[in-house]
Amino acid sequence: MDNILFLILRRLRRPLILIILSFAIAILGLTLMPGVDDKGNPWHMSVFQAFYVISYTATTIGYGEIPYAYSHAQRLWMTFSIYLTVIPWFYALGKIITLLQDTSLRHAITTERFAKSVRMLQEPFYILCSYGESASVLAKALDDKGMRVVVVESLRERLYELELTDTRNVIPSLCADAKLPDTLVHAGVHHPLCSGVVTLTDNDQVNLAVAVAVKTMNPDLPVLARAERDDIAANMASFGTDHIINPYVLFGDQLAVRVHAIGTYILHEWLTDVPGDTLPPPECPPVGKWIVCGYGRFGKSVVKNLEREQITTTIVEAMPDLTGCENCIVGSGTEAKTLIEAGVHNAVGIVAGTDNDINNLSIVMTAYELNPKLFVIVRKNKRHNNALFKQFNADITMHPHDIIAHECLAHMISPLLAQFLALARNHSNAWANALVSQLVSVVGEAVPETWVVTINNKNAPAVTSLIQQNRSVTLMHLTQDPADRRNYLPAVPLMLLRNNEPWLVPAGSTTLQEGDKILFCGKPLAKSIQPKVLNMQKDLLYIIDGIELPDSLVWRWLKS
Amino acid sequence: MNLEKVIFGFFIVLAMTLNFGFFLGDIDNPNHHHVYELYAAIVVSLIATILKFGDRTQVGAVLLSTSLAADLQLISAAILWAIMDGHMDASSLTVYIVSLSGGALMANFVSVILLISETISQRR
Repeated sequence: MDNILFLILRRLRRPLILIILSFAIAILGLTLMPGVDDKGNPWHMSVFQAFYVISYTATTIGYGEIPYAYSHAQRLWMTFSIYLTVIPWFYALGKIITLLQDTSLRHAITTERFAKSVRMLQEPFYILCSYGESASVLAKALDDKGMRVVVVESLRERLYELELTDTRNVIPSLCADAKLPDTLVHAGVHHPLCSGVVTLTDNDQVNLAVAVAVKTMNPDLPVLARAERDDIAANMASFGTDHIINPYVLFGDQLAVRVHAIGTYILHEWLTDVPGDTLPPPECPPVGKWIVCGYGRFGKSVVKNLEREQITTTIVEAMPDLTGCENCIVGSGTEAKTLIEAGVHNAVGIVAGTDNDINNLSIVMTAYELNPKLFVIVRKNKRHNNALFKQFNADITMHPHDIIAHECLAHMISPLLAQFLALARNHSNAWANALVSQLVSVVGEAVPETWVVTINNKNAPAVTSLIQQNRSVTLMHLTQDPADRRNYLPAVPLMLLRNNEPWLVPAGSTTLQEGDKILFCGKPLAKSIQPKVLNMQKDLLYIIDGIELPDSLVWRWLKS
Repeated sequence: MNLEKVIFGFFIVLAMTLNFGFFLGDIDNPNHHHVYELYAAIVVSLIATILKFGDRTQVGAVLLSTSLAADLQLISAAILWAIMDGHMDASSLTVYIVSLSGGALMANFVSVILLISETISQRR
């Protein structure tokens, strides 16, 4: 802010000096002019009176001739003073207004304000280096979870969108190029509470530049970056980027999980969604012959994953030479002829995966007319086409940007959750189904909160002190209600991490040790009550023994 | 020779000399302290302050602060004079005004010393 103040002062030097000089001359002259008071005695204006008169004259307020009617000499000097002082006054005003509209100055002011609001943040926050489709979904989800977000975006139009969005917390935002290290510093890369940087622009080079800059300036800071090209991803990995997200690979993976393990898919969606939302029951794609329209990066990933699930695919592609597709039917898929040629009548499903929303809708509508029993998966690229896709109501509408946002959320909410989801994918569908039904029976249909409890002196003093006294504290104790031990909190332990060894869905009878990390999922109520059990030894002892210990010294003495 | 430096030095020295001129004389004798001299000292001191705006060096910052100190005392003296003139004994009013201007003189003096030291330390 100091720099801006000095910038203003320096630019205003000339108008201010002009004002002082003109005032000085006018005031001096006015005190020298001979006048006559109301009794006819000769009278000279004092310096103070002259300053008063000139001040109201120069600012064009004009109270008239104060304190006595002026003599000719005084009027003559006043006339001269008006021209002498009013012009510099307006010149200075004009200068100040021009200065305030100066783009470089305004930019300096907004940058400084942004940096200040970031410095003032008292809670952990994430930096989003764009506000595109996926980043806006991510920002909203983080905000709903009560986490703070800082946004840097180079397109002003997108920031207007952010300003109009209703958020729980203020989201500081700056219109600047995230590639510039200065911008990242303003956004809080060096801030002690910064918990990570997320760069999801659709330009790999920008993401790479941000990842490299952040890892150079603050190597401990986690970075989540989007990369479509393998060489860029490898480059990012060499700089220690923590999570590299390839939207196309991710989408194919998700589709494959959906086809072969619907339970695992629900688990993933459910745990990474915004708390409080309810998920619609998902459809399970049938196994058989599928038609895939569009063989770009997206289509390739879909085909690869479908074939891994032993599903035969027929590819429809408008430009086979460009996409390197050898065995396919040429055409866009929007006309009936191509689809019939691809065998739409005996297919069980169709994937419309081009990067054009209108074409995708046209493909699935034509296919649906030809074969109403088809299972339809359609790719939605732009969020503003929501209304169209809702109207069509396909079996699965996949939005790459939502998928990216979900993946980021899984990493950002807690690294344990991401680890849990990765491990869950290796388990069978039946296992996932059983877990989902167990979770639903405890925490209900709404999307639960997930949180991590670390058993150490700082985060769970009551538990560690009991462990040090050789009392055994089990996992179940942490899920009991401190108000009535017969009741249980609506929370389920999903994973226990001991010496970096993960245990999925540990049993309630597991005895806790110091250093354990436990991933819980449950209702917000449970998340807010549980710290009582972790911190208050009295509550924990009541849960374990069923005896209420007295608080005060006198009562303790009486009891003993 | 740089015209900007000449003007800069001129105003700073002039602010001090005018201030000194007003200060000079018996402290309680109104005839020794003329109102126009105080007036001129204030105007020149204000101009000197504005000339010091925008210099980001350490010396520049201290120069600006000495000027602000001088302005504060001179303007206080002027306000005191404007308000109390005719309401109190002329010689005791003069004592107040002149002692305030004496304070401002010290600030101006520091300012000039800084200017001189900066000039001397410049090798050329």
